[in-house]
Amino acid sequence: MRSQEKDLLGLAESLVEYGRKKGADQIEISINAGTNFSVEVRKGEIEQLEQADSTILSLRVIQEQKVATASSFDFTLQTLHHLIDKAIERARFSSADEYAGLPEKEEVVIDIAQLKLYDPEILILDTKTKIELAKQTEAICLADSHITNSHGAGFSSEVKTVALANSMGFSGTYKASACYLWVHIQAGKDPEKVEDGWHAFARAYKVLDSPELVAQKALERTTRLLGARKVKTQNVPVVFEPRMTGELLRFLYNCISGTAIYRRQSFLVDKLDQKIGNNLVTVIDNGLLPGAPGTKPFDDEGVPIRKTIVIEKGILKNYLFDTYSARRLKMKSTGNASGPNNFHLTAGKHTPEEITKSVDKGLLLTNMMGMGLNPVTGDISRGAFGLWIEKGEIAYPVSEITISGNLAKILQDIEMVGNDLMFDRNVTGPTIKIGEMTVGGI
Amino acid sequence: MLVLATSSLWFDLLFSGRIPEASAGFFEEHFGVSKEMMLKILDIALSKGGDFSEMFFEYKTTHNIQMEEEIIKETSEDISLGVGIRVISGEKTGYAYTNELSFEKMKKAALTAAAIANSAAKTPIANLEENFPGQQVYDVRKPIENVELTDKIQLVKDAYYAAQKFDSHITKVQSFLSDELQYVTIVNSEGLLISDVRPQVRLVVISLAEKNGVRNRGFHSGGGRVGMLYFEQTKTPKQIGEKASEEAIILLSAVDPPAGEQPVVLGVGQSGVMIHEAVGHPLEADGNRKGTSIMANRLGQKVATSVVTIYDDPTIPYARGSLNIDDEGTVTQKTTLIENGVLKGYLQDRLSARLMNMSLTGNGRRQGFQYMPIPRMTNTVLAQGEFDPEEVIASVKKGFYAQTYQGGQVQDTGKFVFSVNLGYLIENGKLTQPVKNATLIGTNVQILENISMVGNDMGFFLGTCGKDGQSVAVTAGTPTVKIEKMTVGGRK
Repeated sequence: MRSQEKDLLGLAESLVEYGRKKGADQIEISINAGTNFSVEVRKGEIEQLEQADSTILSLRVIQEQKVATASSFDFTLQTLHHLIDKAIERARFSSADEYAGLPEKEEVVIDIAQLKLYDPEILILDTKTKIELAKQTEAICLADSHITNSHGAGFSSEVKTVALANSMGFSGTYKASACYLWVHIQAGKDPEKVEDGWHAFARAYKVLDSPELVAQKALERTTRLLGARKVKTQNVPVVFEPRMTGELLRFLYNCISGTAIYRRQSFLVDKLDQKIGNNLVTVIDNGLLPGAPGTKPFDDEGVPIRKTIVIEKGILKNYLFDTYSARRLKMKSTGNASGPNNFHLTAGKHTPEEITKSVDKGLLLTNMMGMGLNPVTGDISRGAFGLWIEKGEIAYPVSEITISGNLAKILQDIEMVGNDLMFDRNVTGPTIKIGEMTVGGI
Repeated sequence: MLVLATSSLWFDLLFSGRIPEASAGFFEEHFGVSKEMMLKILDIALSKGGDFSEMFFEYKTTHNIQMEEEIIKETSEDISLGVGIRVISGEKTGYAYTNELSFEKMKKAALTAAAIANSAAKTPIANLEENFPGQQVYDVRKPIENVELTDKIQLVKDAYYAAQKFDSHITKVQSFLSDELQYVTIVNSEGLLISDVRPQVRLVVISLAEKNGVRNRGFHSGGGRVGMLYFEQTKTPKQIGEKASEEAIILLSAVDPPAGEQPVVLGVGQSGVMIHEAVGHPLEADGNRKGTSIMANRLGQKVATSVVTIYDDPTIPYARGSLNIDDEGTVTQKTTLIENGVLKGYLQDRLSARLMNMSLTGNGRRQGFQYMPIPRMTNTVLAQGEFDPEEVIASVKKGFYAQTYQGGQVQDTGKFVFSVNLGYLIENGKLTQPVKNATLIGTNVQILENISMVGNDMGFFLGTCGKDGQSVAVTAGTPTVKIEKMTVGGRK
């Protein structure tokens, strides 16, 4: 164990001990220490350079089934002790909740090295190199004659050390890193200006996409929006690009999370083992994929991370739980106290081009804006940008449209699933084609 | 030199029963950061040749109480502490922060921020002289920080039970109280030394109504830079709870919206979110300095119909977005953005104001010490017009009325989207059927050029605005407003 991890875990364990001595029935201490770097360039010049370390401690006390929590950036030992004392005292004022409690310790051994969470190169990477990556990415974009302005480009990285200990005997620590390269640009002139961009993620520096790749993706995404037209309101097939499938899955995650289920704030309440989608729909949460953004050895409560099949060929197999929501429904935590691990729709066999080709008249959805997601009903109604498809070909971009539909129906209406699944966000999916949705226009 | 805090803030708060005055002495007394240390750090920050250095000290306590399923689920107490150090060199900004206020840690952060500059020229540090805001826009008469936990719990319960009792179809209620107290001290190389103590309180109720398998959510909140008097005199927890349930119940009989372009009436108060998103954001100076905003280079031009006057006013007493000073230490003021349709000004922070050669407006804000200040709105208001709200609605034969929102989003290009939680059909000049699942979509230019009637009423939306990954508290005010045409999205 490296020394920072050891120090933080030592502090966490000693505070658990302190809380126990002060009479806490159960106590959990977690510490998150981060080192962040970011540089932002615009029009070839550095605009911002930021570098910092900070550490936050969070704690939870359970006293006669009553819960109190606290957190602090102030690491004075006296403050931390006082915070624990006060939480123990404050817990009295909460109501007893029979489901409250820390997770039972699970004897699972996860080989942290296998998860490929940490790349030491990120901390020693030369600042000049990082600035150069951002500058190069932006320069490639600005060299394109369609590009009229830039929001800037940037490189950022973070290294965090997590230490968690609790009175149930759990004690664990790990280190994780991440780096990002992004650019955000505008094309065209007012009032027909369009904007978009791209950002790449990797846990290890050597596998981060190159400036050329990031710039190319951003250029393609932005210039294709030029010359947008409006369309009439109509019901047509809608093709979701991978990022859009990701947004749809984020909504699905909110609907299958144990919290939404026990609160009965989801259209998927009481649907376990039922057919909620067609055979093309298989959704998995796998927090053990090496190097992926949602990968970790244990969640925010110290529950070991695992692979959970959520939907298998359309059948709802599992909800995703933290300890509390699991107890509410007499289930066990699935290690989702920190949210989705790597929650994804599994890849299909079609190339994205084949999927577009299959549409006679419809929309290729490229961006969504605004809220408009209702987990209680599954209703979706959002502002959208996209490309109009005619006879299998991209015809022209469309803007000022809305798309609306219902997630329950969408899961039944998925007609094609792409082979382009990428783990670049902790909720992700490939290109998909939905049989019919309402595209609202003029 | 290593300075450790000798006492924690609570001891004083607990034993003195009052909020300490806003003064730089706060960070010296509690965390050992003296004026001499600040001067030294500001100087180190300019050691590589930057032309401006600044330290933003923050200590913030936040308390939350959550009630759900008849019980007080959890209470929490969060402490934020740290200093953000900024160095500006021309158009470049270096930033570093630390949550340890020791001289060594601050020095390290100052050197990190300093590295942005690369010049032999040395800007001298002006001597620090303590300034005071000269205004008090927060209600500090009965601070909620001094209220016993049991009394705060009672507020949460009152709101909860009022929501639950409102109607037998209310099946679930959640009630939350959040109160924070933020101490800030800002010092810079130009000799500024100024502090502020800012309360922020919010009581939120979410109600779920269920009937014949249809479920809908209502939401309402109250609060601001207020204390207990707000819940006694301005808006009671009971009113907040009932409002949330009323919305959920109305939505039970709501229909999907008629999609397409049509006249839209923005309802009083909650529609402020539209003004904030569609009009306010494009007027923040950063996007105009960079030319990415649709309002860039349009000062003095007519950008809206002549019934449109919009201003940002951080000095509205006790409002959620109000500030005595911004997060760069500038004393706040009311700023006119659009007057009778003509673009008059932008919302400035220090960096943009300097680069655009314009005056500071006191709109440099940040979420906390970990963030650089950027131009932000505070309380953004579309000024009252001359029409009765009924007249505005009566002028529409067939259209859509937007009452409450789930949220909205706007691009720098001016394109926006809003999700309406509760709306109504307007038929023959009257509100008829309630509507759910509507989306409003368009561009801000379109809205501004299509506002045809402004009501003589006024109400405020309480919100939290996100920009560049930073959240800050805001309000937005608006009367009833008619927009000649806007695209409504939905499923019909």
